[in-house]
Parts: sequence; structure tokens; C-alpha cells
Amino acid sequence: MRCAPSSWRVLATSSPSSSDVAPTDVAADPADIRRFVVPRGRVAADAAARAARRFGAVRPDHAEAVLLDGPLDRCGLAALLAVLPADGWPLLVELDEDGAAHGDWPATPMPGPGFLLSLTTATAFAVQSPVAVCDALERRGILPERRRSAVELCLHEAVANALVHGNVGVPADTRDQPDGFRLFGERVTAALRDPAVRRRRVDILARWGEGTLDLAVVDEGGGFDPAALERPANGFARSGRGFVFMRALANAVAVRDGGRCTLLHFDLHGPPP
Amino acid sequence: MDFQARSTPEAIEARLTGRLEFTDHDRLREIVVLIEESRSQRFVIDLSKLEFIDSAGLGMLLILQEEAESRSIPMTVRGAQGDALRSIELARLGDILTIIK
Repeated sequence: MRCAPSSWRVLATSSPSSSDVAPTDVAADPADIRRFVVPRGRVAADAAARAARRFGAVRPDHAEAVLLDGPLDRCGLAALLAVLPADGWPLLVELDEDGAAHGDWPATPMPGPGFLLSLTTATAFAVQSPVAVCDALERRGILPERRRSAVELCLHEAVANALVHGNVGVPADTRDQPDGFRLFGERVTAALRDPAVRRRRVDILARWGEGTLDLAVVDEGGGFDPAALERPANGFARSGRGFVFMRALANAVAVRDGGRCTLLHFDLHGPPP
Repeated sequence: MDFQARSTPEAIEARLTGRLEFTDHDRLREIVVLIEESRSQRFVIDLSKLEFIDSAGLGMLLILQEEAESRSIPMTVRGAQGDALRSIELARLGDILTIIK
């Protein structure tokens, strides 16, 4: 899909000392208007806490968040990630259909360097967020072109699992049942009509260092037993290969939070695994 | 994912383009209908223009294989390259499907 050139630009960056909410801090092409709000010095408490648990170190002086209000499509997400500031620790949090995000938004620090993209399930199904995230990482010079496709496939699989089996709750073996693909599609479609499912979040956290990239994908589903991943995959099964890809292409893969968090680690300077 | 279908008495061919992934189950139904309505002797999936396939997409290839086999129509996967070929090789689908590079 080709996106039209965008005129997204950051007009102001958040101030860690202010708690004011400043509207319209990011401007858009008039033909593609979406409202943005930057709450200065505030980030989603639950998202930031989860990020801090995953990655440890924090930078309390660099908390920053962008709330994405209104429908976000593939091109809009790509345009937004294209203008991420080179420094700072942005959190990009899509508001749900009620204009809300989880958490009470206290001034909670984010770890970094990196960024967090928190999308609702409804949006994440439509915007190919792994492509946009990898575009942003490659554009910043963090993700080398030669590792791009492997990283994107791993992130894609983690996000797909988080959405389908996590937030939407379709069991992994649905496609293995007779007529499973029809059943699978019907269950996903039905679930996405439920506002409670649509507003569940999938968070993508990206953090990088000298020659390393860590990605975390966090969902709000029921989780799964990570021990199931140790069982050999049935070659004829229609599902279950996502972790095969991740383990083959990432330098390390871990599952936390009872299956609700997948961690991917990449050594970008060394040879692929 | 988009696809174009071409049918002859000898074979029905579906050429897939774009990305075949977990959001494409509705399009899969359309390809299954092709098989169901086919009077051809062979079914060919052409992946030469497919840019990306995820694990769910590979599962869809297996579903198509089963749908074809249930009608005694042999299926061949042809032309995968780049990222799509890497996914197929990582999943060792060559042990299950008839694949022509």
C-alpha cells in the first residue's frame, strides 16, 4: 500500500516539568486531519509500569507521551512514526472509541532509549504496525536493512499472536479444526464487534542500545502456558509456527506474564542467528 | 493479499500478490471457492509476486492443499522468492507441499 506524502510535523515537544495538557501539538495535512494531544510530562501509568518492568532502567526526566485521538489508519501511523523526535522517550498511545486510555496518567517515567506504541485492538488489526515500527527504526539508522525483514517477521508474529490469541481470544488450534478457517474468521469478526475487545491494548515497545534492539509486545488477553511452546510442532498443523520463526530469526525470545508479553532480542551487528 | 485466478481444463492457477497474513482469512474463502468450483486436473498457487507470508499464511496454504486433495486435485506451490521463500523454508513446508521454485 502506497501512502500519500504527509505533512505531519511536530510543533512542540513535551516538557518534563509541566503537567498541562496542550492540545494540537502535532499538525496534519488538512486533508488528513486527526487531533492529537500531548499531555506534558504524563504517560499511561500501566503502560509505563509494564515497560519499566521489562527493561529496568528509567529516565525520569524524559517522560513524554502523545495521545492519538481519532481514527488512525496505516498511512497516519507511518507518518506519525516518521516524525518521532530523535531523542526523548515518546509514548504513543491511541485513545479508544470512548476517548479514553487505561490508567490515570500520572507522571510516570519511561525507560529508553526507545518508544512505546500502544494501540487498540481494532486499530492494530488494520494498520500493520510492525511495518510502521520497522520503517521508523530503519529510518533512524537503528535497524540495518540486512536485518529488516527478519526483525519485521518476528515482530509481526508477536503482534499477530497478541491480537488474535491474546486480545481477541481465538484459541490457537481453531484453524486445526474441521472447517477451521471459516470458524477462525467468524470468531475474529464477531469478537471485533465487541467494544470491550476492540479497546483492549496491544503495546509495542522498542528499545535499542549499541548494536542491539529489544522489542516487547504486550497484550491484555488471557495469556497461555509458555510450556506449550516446548512441545514439538505438528508439521501438518495449520497454526503454531509463529514461535518457530521468532526463535529462528531473533537472537533471543522470551515469554513473560503468563503469555501476555513476548520479548525479542536482536544483536544487530553480529551475524543473524 | 490480492489474487488473480486463471482456469484452463488442465489447471486452475491463483497468483497471489502483496502480503498473505492473519487478516486474510476472508480472501482464503474466495480461493477455496475456486477449488470447489474447479473442473481442472491441477491447482497451482503462484507466489512469485507475493512479498510476505506469515505463519498464518502458511497455514492457509495447508488448508488449500487439504481442500484440493479432498477433491483429488493435486496442488503445486510455485515461484516463491525472497521473504516468502524464507518463511516456507523455515517452516519446512517443502516436506508437506509440492513446491517449485
